[in-house]
Amino acid sequence: MNISPVVKVVQPSGILDSTKAESFRKEILNHVENGADIILINFKNVTFMDSSGLGALVLALKTVRAGGSQMLVCSINEQLKTLFELTSMDRVFTIYANQDDFNKAVLSKK
Amino acid sequence: MRQFPSDINALDKVLSWFEEMNRPFIPQKVWLQCQLALAEAFTNAVRHAHKNCSPDVTVEIEVTLLPQYLEIRIWDFGLPFDLEKQLKNVPETVNEKAEGGRGLRILHQIADELSYTRTDRNRNCLLLVKHY
Repeated sequence: MNISPVVKVVQPSGILDSTKAESFRKEILNHVENGADIILINFKNVTFMDSSGLGALVLALKTVRAGGSQMLVCSINEQLKTLFELTSMDRVFTIYANQDDFNKAVLSKK
Repeated sequence: MRQFPSDINALDKVLSWFEEMNRPFIPQKVWLQCQLALAEAFTNAVRHAHKNCSPDVTVEIEVTLLPQYLEIRIWDFGLPFDLEKQLKNVPETVNEKAEGGRGLRILHQIADELSYTRTDRNRNCLLLVKHY
């Protein structure tokens, strides 16, 4: 019997900076507390992220992993890519091109 | 040259003002790095230099596009601050798991030249030079 993992998608939008960092992090943590196995952060509606937004993401990753769940990332634009590369976060996060790629890679695995 | 309020919520205005200056001859990678550097510098000015100031105290920004490089200048009214000393204290590689401490490192990584000097009217000027 295969039990599908519980996947929750978090989809922030606009500018992800210090003004939104805390609520973004809390949304992720709520999913961890509610037993999500996989949390996918879909960045398709984020136009810009700064180091505060990235800080929140890193902090969330620690909590997710501590709770035994997984956090994955998809749909980052060129700006986010630039930020991830400069801070070597492209090596820390598993990044999918889009949600379809994530579905194929993660959900079709049995 | 443009003045912005010392308000973290003004970042979107800073970014859209900067975007108006984008030109096709500037490589996208360079432009995006400068956009990020500008955002980090602006939020640093608001959150640190102008920590105890009212939002009416402005942060002034000037962007100069030259044929080979661009210059970004950001003036604040904060106390003098030794950027070079601070940069020496920033570890060579920020721990990948650390939550903060990335702003200055990002500025340092992006800039070809970076300085922070005391100028007129009790102001400081952050200068960032980036070649295309």
